[in-house]
Amino acid sequence: MQAAQILINALVLGCLYACIAIGFSLVWGVLNVINLIHGSFIVLGAYLAFGLYNALHIPPWYAVIVAAPLFFVLGYLLQRLVLNRVITAPVLVTLTLTFGLDLILNNAMIYFFKADYRKLTLTPSLGSVSIFDVVVPVDRLIATAAALALTGLLYLLLRRSRIGRAIVAVRLDRDAAVLMGVNVPSIYAIAFGLGAALAGCAGVLMALIFPISPLTSSAYLGKAFVVCVLGGLGSVSGALAGGLLLALVEGVGSTFLGPSHATTLSFVLLIIFLVLRPQGLVGRKGFE
Amino acid sequence: MNQSWVARRVRRSFPLSAAVLALGAQLSAASAEDVIRFGAPLPITGALAPEAVKQQQGYDLWAEQANKAGGVSVGGKKYKVQIVYTDYQSNTPRAVQATEQMISQDNVNFMFGAFGSGAAKAASTVSEKYKVPTLAATASSSQVYDQGYKYLFGTFTPNDTLTTPLTKIIKTKVPDVKKVAILARNDLFPLAIAQEMEKSAKAEGYEVVYSEKYSIGTLDHSAALSQIKSLAPQWIFVTGYTNDLLLVRKQMVDQQMKAPVVTMIAGPAYQEFIDALGPAAENVSSAAWWHPAEQYDGKDIFGTTANFVKLFKAKYNSEPDYGQASAALCGALFQIAIEKAGSLDRDKVRDELAKLDVVTFFGPVKFGANGQINSLDPPVFQIQGGKPVVLFPQAIKQGDLKIGVN
Repeated sequence: MQAAQILINALVLGCLYACIAIGFSLVWGVLNVINLIHGSFIVLGAYLAFGLYNALHIPPWYAVIVAAPLFFVLGYLLQRLVLNRVITAPVLVTLTLTFGLDLILNNAMIYFFKADYRKLTLTPSLGSVSIFDVVVPVDRLIATAAALALTGLLYLLLRRSRIGRAIVAVRLDRDAAVLMGVNVPSIYAIAFGLGAALAGCAGVLMALIFPISPLTSSAYLGKAFVVCVLGGLGSVSGALAGGLLLALVEGVGSTFLGPSHATTLSFVLLIIFLVLRPQGLVGRKGFE
Repeated sequence: MNQSWVARRVRRSFPLSAAVLALGAQLSAASAEDVIRFGAPLPITGALAPEAVKQQQGYDLWAEQANKAGGVSVGGKKYKVQIVYTDYQSNTPRAVQATEQMISQDNVNFMFGAFGSGAAKAASTVSEKYKVPTLAATASSSQVYDQGYKYLFGTFTPNDTLTTPLTKIIKTKVPDVKKVAILARNDLFPLAIAQEMEKSAKAEGYEVVYSEKYSIGTLDHSAALSQIKSLAPQWIFVTGYTNDLLLVRKQMVDQQMKAPVVTMIAGPAYQEFIDALGPAAENVSSAAWWHPAEQYDGKDIFGTTANFVKLFKAKYNSEPDYGQASAALCGALFQIAIEKAGSLDRDKVRDELAKLDVVTFFGPVKFGANGQINSLDPPVFQIQGGKPVVLFPQAIKQGDLKIGVN
């Protein structure tokens, strides 16, 4: 029974990890930008959920509807006005730029919200459901469902819509896309906006689960990074596969080797993947 | 042409600027005489930033109170207090550099220790070299004080003074407790407390069925908690900082874990922990070096504990915790020692600190031969009805232990 519990824990956690990573994966895959501001976007989304719930009693699953357009606009403008200026520069330049932007956003949050840890506590609390002896918290189930829905929506968007096809085209071959009449700067901005919107939504959902503080942004960013390397860039399912693998390794490692080795194990796995399978679990060659 | 114009301007303005400089020098000489400068290296940025803010609040409150009363009197003359802060960016080697710089270049008279045990120990080598009396507000590990240093004093008792009284209370009040599970953050202070807890538990004849550590930055404790749940301990003991303990407690509720006793160190000492958890904080027990519910009638500048709490609330609009109180205490102790010495001579002040035997708002203060305080009974408390209630020491007890954390 304990094995079933650990498996369920890992499945649910894996979907949360995927939710954290998916926007990061999109931006990295399409723009080739390692977006270090991603973690702070998630935290900002969590504060939005916290504020909306405490001020207006809007629960996080509705707050997603507010967060998505808000963060899309924020990301779109950031890419259009700032990042586009250096988008063709080597990856280190965009890395440094997003690092600087992250410092600004993170310290602004510390200034305005303070570094104190807060918690979005729903009243009445959602509780947990138990099937036989296996317990699953409802808030995690909601976040899992939302993560799957967001992943599905992104998949459909990239597959079925004109904008989605343009994003994929730019990702596959920027120059050919230009020749086909794709407005590349605009596609970049849309992709970055989508990444930001996904981060914002992830933050809203994470507010149900994790304590909220600007200091947690690096933890989210670290997980997103590992998930992307494990799962692979260039496909939506990569984030999901990476998230599930990471959560499984952490859960099993924690049970058999002790929780302090769970992180060690996940980073050993990261190194193994970087050496042996740099394109990740489901990534395509050329996107590593 | 351009150059000669510049030269002319400089020549013309030279007497004026020289006069301004001279005046400035005189002013600073005058102010240097009437000010006592205290160096405070703090991790103002980086991972420990929230802790630095808390210590800073304590120092600032003391400096404000001391200056409001006219300053510290040294041999009949009043000196204003000034605290010189340096940010060591949560980086211990930088704390050592910062201490060196404050003593050799900023000419501070006395030092406050760096944050926590590790950095305070590292930085103390410098202040000892220069023979500068140093008060460490947040260093509890006895390894900080076993170096044979003469100028280092600390206001936190050793870690085992937190776990031993707690274990004794549980032993008498909850005889059903047989099995203990310990989960610790793999970090200097939380790990040290967990090790002391394991010793205390074994000394009382408990079976420690689980004792593991989790790494810094862990985002999920479900695997560890599932394992603990399957072992069915009656006492679950978790160490870490506020974020870890909020997450652990939330996941315990998620997994429907119940136990007669749940102890968490150091989160429950902070108001934000209680605010964030709401009903889930109920009956969680803890221990800390100081608590605002204590009632001491001190001889220091703050007087009673209640007065300290009132002043703190008025300035910061929040309840003080043990870190902030200890920082303010360090200032107050320096003031007592300097006034008793009647001099700013570092050796005289050091001797007065070593001789101190005084009741303060923080409790009775007396330093052992190694410099660590040995006169305090750190309070054990429990969250009851959304408020911390002191269970020990007997003299300031407010209630009895309630059994059962759901």
